Amino acid sequence: MILARVDGHVVTSIGHPSLKAQKIVLCTPVDEEGLATGSPIAALDPIGAGQHSRVFITTDGSWSQNTLHDETSPIRNQIMGLVDAPKAS
Amino acid sequence: MKVGKVIGKVTLSHADSGFRGGRFILVAPQGAKELTGKNPRGFSDNWTLVAYDNLGAGEGDDILYVEGAEAMQPFDYRTPLDAISVALIDTYRYEPPTE
Repeated sequence: MILARVDGHVVTSIGHPSLKAQKIVLCTPVDEEGLATGSPIAALDPIGAGQHSRVFITTDGSWSQNTLHDETSPIRNQIMGLVDAPKAS
Repeated sequence: MKVGKVIGKVTLSHADSGFRGGRFILVAPQGAKELTGKNPRGFSDNWTLVAYDNLGAGEGDDILYVEGAEAMQPFDYRTPLDAISVALIDTYRYEPPTE
């Protein structure tokens, strides 16, 4: 799973059928200090995370097939939760 | 899923029969600089990848693509595929906070 920050969103009309009516956000992977650590990732957002909120994202495709009720879905990334205060110790 | 820009296509004369119905496109991965418009070239120096496309993505289009074993999930038979376009992007917004 990846710690990330929501930095934007994507609007699509043509795509895999399992993406229909799904909100897709663009997230930047961040470290525990909140600094960007990689290239943006697009992820499904079933919880409605706001702009610049800290989230964590799963990269497990079979989980997305589960929640989308579609075994043919190629989607991998999905927001799993909002992070209040990440702390590395 | 990641954002990529279609920069070309790949034409094959012989291909695995499982690939029928689609075509292959060349995709330049889009990083933060490209999404915020800070790269005047419009596409990154990252490795260009070849992805399967059955949505009809054209050159210059922004797409979402998936890399990895999940790319073959839409098929009801096994294919040796590990990158596929999953959506054509109409519009996007990408605004990282200014650090």
